[in-house]
Amino acid sequence: MLEFRQVHKSYATPQGPLQVLDGIDLRLAAGESLALMGESGSGKSTLLHLAAGLDLPEAGEVSVAGQAISSLDEPARARLRRDTLGLVFQQFHLVPSLNVGDNLRLQARLARRCDPEWAAHLIERLGLSGMEKRYPEQLSGGQQQRLAIGRALAPRPALLLADEPTGNLDETSADEVLGLLLSLVSESGSALLMVTHSSQVAAPLDRCLRLTHGRLGPVDEREASHR
Amino acid sequence: MFTTLATLLSHYKRHPGQLAMLLLGLWVASALWSGVQAINASARDSYARAEALFTTGLDRLERRDGQPLTRDDYLRLRRAGLPISPLLEGTLEAPDGTRLTVIGIEPFTLPGDNAFATAGSLSSRPGDLTIFLTPPWQTRVAPDTLPALGVADRQAPGGEPRLVDGRPLPPLVLAPSLPPDTLVMDIAAAAMLLDSGETLSRLVTAPHALDEAPTGLVLSRAATLASPGQLTESFHLNLTAMALLALVVGLFIVQAALGLALEQRLAMLRTLRALGVSGRRLVGLLALELLLLGIIGALAGIVSGVWLARLLLPDVAATLGSLYGAGVTAELNLPWHYWVGGIAVTLGGLFLAGAGVLWRAARLSVLGLGQAQAWRAGFRRQLTFMTLAGALVALTGLVLWAWLAGQPPGEGLLAGFGLMAALLLASALWLPPLLAAFIAALERLARRRPLAQWALADLQLQLPRLSLAMMALLIALSANLGVSSMVGGFRLTFLDWLDQRLVADLYLRPPAEQFEEIETWLGERREVAERLPTRRIEATLYEVKRGGNTRDLALPTHLYGITPGDALMPSWPLLDTLAGRDAAWQAFGGGEAFINEQLAISEGLTPGDRLTLSAPRGQEQATVVAVYPDYGNTQGEVLFATAQLASRFGAPPGSIGIVLAAGADEAALGQALSQHFGLGSDSLVDQREVKRIATGIFERTFTITRALSALTLGVAALALLASLLAQARERRRQLAPLWALGIPRAQLVQVQLGQLGGAALVTGALAIPLGIVLALGLVAVINVAAFGWRLPLFLFPMEIALTLATAVAVALLATALPAITLWRTPPRALLAEEVNT
Repeated sequence: MLEFRQVHKSYATPQGPLQVLDGIDLRLAAGESLALMGESGSGKSTLLHLAAGLDLPEAGEVSVAGQAISSLDEPARARLRRDTLGLVFQQFHLVPSLNVGDNLRLQARLARRCDPEWAAHLIERLGLSGMEKRYPEQLSGGQQQRLAIGRALAPRPALLLADEPTGNLDETSADEVLGLLLSLVSESGSALLMVTHSSQVAAPLDRCLRLTHGRLGPVDEREASHR
Repeated sequence: MFTTLATLLSHYKRHPGQLAMLLLGLWVASALWSGVQAINASARDSYARAEALFTTGLDRLERRDGQPLTRDDYLRLRRAGLPISPLLEGTLEAPDGTRLTVIGIEPFTLPGDNAFATAGSLSSRPGDLTIFLTPPWQTRVAPDTLPALGVADRQAPGGEPRLVDGRPLPPLVLAPSLPPDTLVMDIAAAAMLLDSGETLSRLVTAPHALDEAPTGLVLSRAATLASPGQLTESFHLNLTAMALLALVVGLFIVQAALGLALEQRLAMLRTLRALGVSGRRLVGLLALELLLLGIIGALAGIVSGVWLARLLLPDVAATLGSLYGAGVTAELNLPWHYWVGGIAVTLGGLFLAGAGVLWRAARLSVLGLGQAQAWRAGFRRQLTFMTLAGALVALTGLVLWAWLAGQPPGEGLLAGFGLMAALLLASALWLPPLLAAFIAALERLARRRPLAQWALADLQLQLPRLSLAMMALLIALSANLGVSSMVGGFRLTFLDWLDQRLVADLYLRPPAEQFEEIETWLGERREVAERLPTRRIEATLYEVKRGGNTRDLALPTHLYGITPGDALMPSWPLLDTLAGRDAAWQAFGGGEAFINEQLAISEGLTPGDRLTLSAPRGQEQATVVAVYPDYGNTQGEVLFATAQLASRFGAPPGSIGIVLAAGADEAALGQALSQHFGLGSDSLVDQREVKRIATGIFERTFTITRALSALTLGVAALALLASLLAQARERRRQLAPLWALGIPRAQLVQVQLGQLGGAALVTGALAIPLGIVLALGLVAVINVAAFGWRLPLFLFPMEIALTLATAVAVALLATALPAITLWRTPPRALLAEEVNT
């Protein structure tokens, strides 16, 4: 489903180029879930953005569902995101002008894959019943993140990319949202790549890797003990 | 307090675009207003100086036969005990080509209460009068005439600049109260410079010092010589109205910027309130911020306004000169109150624009302060308020309209402008609720198209920020359409009217003493098919009889004589007749009168009214048999057959229109005329030249109107651009999630263009009926009151299409810059903006 082959990425800084990813190799099979851990600024989000085609690698290849991202132009990458991927951001990024129902169905409708029954099921499972006519700013943080998860899963994407999906939530809400996310991913059959700095959040996932100094490696023993 | 103010102002460090938008709004609003006020102030100064001069305000005596008065005439009348003074007037050319008016006076006999004695400082020092009266004499001149003479201010007193022909002027003495381009000197010195010999231009006397004109002379009362200030009042009122429109449009930008700046500082306001700054102090500091910004904007605006006025003043001066005969200096002359007034109007407008924002800020609760929802709920309330306020303003407009409908035609210029303002304001206030309702209706239709649905919902969300810019656009577009329809219609009517009036091929203005001889000579020439002599004289319209009622008027009136012949009668336009066109001309030839539209409207006269006019042998009566349009005139006029005017009113000869026979050689006739009678080249003018000059005057008259109208539209475009730029960064953050969800940037750019283009198209479509109603108001109310004539309403499909196209083009241009920025933003940067939210 997702493959990184010798991917390199750096950013220009006043102090010179900063190597963020240094020869990343990664494979994620269909239906598999993977947690990607690392310190702040370690390049986790950059890796996720490359997987989503939001950014391009300097060297190496990123493939999603068999398509090499670098070989696609911007509209094609946009189509790939629309049709194949689901994205959940730490900051929710809901569309403020659309109500809850329209926000949830937005990507599915853009991808022309809106399944009303699945959408209704998501709304119920996400605890958003009766709130469909509300606007995002009228929801709590936890409700907004649940809505963002629903929006990403509504088109039943082959791959869900989640960037610190519980980073902005309190502990109770975070547990609740994470449980829902994993349960719904399992129901939809999507593969999941989740970026997190919390070993507790990473624990329930199939695999867990740590990004350190631009390279991927296994998690240490203490982190593994949470699993 | 300083810390709080610095904290509030720190917002602009993060959002310099908003600061630029605020200052831009203040700057353009103030610049256009100050520019027009500078023009008005300079013109009024010129009028005041002209009115203080002895050429107005005194009764005039001229010879009835049109021949020049001589020194002997003056001496004879003076010996007979008449309190008269001689005046010689002519023109000389300055080295830079400026035509200077030379006025020669005789200070001993000049009526003593005229302004010359004080303004010209003759009596300020003993011996001044002797210096003025004796060689080498003196030239009194205003400082703003010195550049034309090539003299610097310091060298002026005592300087003896030369004319274009090399002759020196008498030593200069500065007299600031004189009108521009005017030289005043002793009559003997003027006679030498003008080579006028013994002839005089006219004799003057204190108003009403003479009961009647001496035999052989015509007495023109000062009252009939309307002052330039009176004549041009409506012209300046028109300019002021246009400038006010630009000021309002500019202030819309300011209000939009203030609203945005405050909305984005809601969280900051909440924090400051939480930290112990009182709401009252916060509002006070926001007002102080307004004051600081206002002073900067006003100063920049006034400086630019003066520059704009310098640019436009020569055209305005030429227009006022050719249209009203009013001399206006091309140099700016600004009194102190102009500067203070400019700052006061800008600050007043700023506080008016900011009052709503301050009021909303003061009313928001601390807990709800940071929520955009609270602000948006405020906008929904604002939409209701706008609908109600629009209804109230429309009602005021209706009251004004009802009042105007009950007034005689030509009355109520200010009420007319009030009606226009009410119409514009009501429409502008109704625009945002209308747009909101329109978008909501479209949203319901677009439920099956997610992107269209999002685009409409997003546009609805942008509306609070866009509405003021759209209101400005609506006002500017409709004013532009109204003005261009009025000017375009006027142009068509005017050119048509010129064709109808100017039927002769050549126009000859012979010296009065040769008039009869030349007319006879022309009558004998085979190449002349018809002669159309004219005459002109002033009289008093004593009374008007209608049915059994008599109305006393005592109105100074111009009488004009034309020759009703085969060439003139079929084409001369008539607006209304007593018993049909043929009967009107028949009665006209028999001694009855036509009146122009201005006189008919201003005095409420209609065909069938019987006029009693002053005449040398007592009084003459004539029945009005027709009303004719008279677009080249700003005053009332009674028309008679030339022969009637000569015999009954003793009018002096004027010009002769020459209708050429088929195939006649125009040039040969002109040559023969100058050989036979020694006429100068400027005595004979062909019809094309007259039309060219008249059309030139027309075009120049509306140059400034068109310029201001276009500038207002430019300001509205700036308002839209500024609104979009100020929120461009936030917009990109809102668009980033959509891009991340799989909508390509190109499509997002298209959606943005579609959103604004669509909103502008709706605004443009609303501007069309509004512009047409404005044009109707201009031709039916404002022009009638300002100029005295009514024009037919012309609609130009091209202008209407252009209005729509301009609306969309303005919106697309304004959207283009933010859209290009979005297009060129690297995806990673777009995402970074999103992530950094």
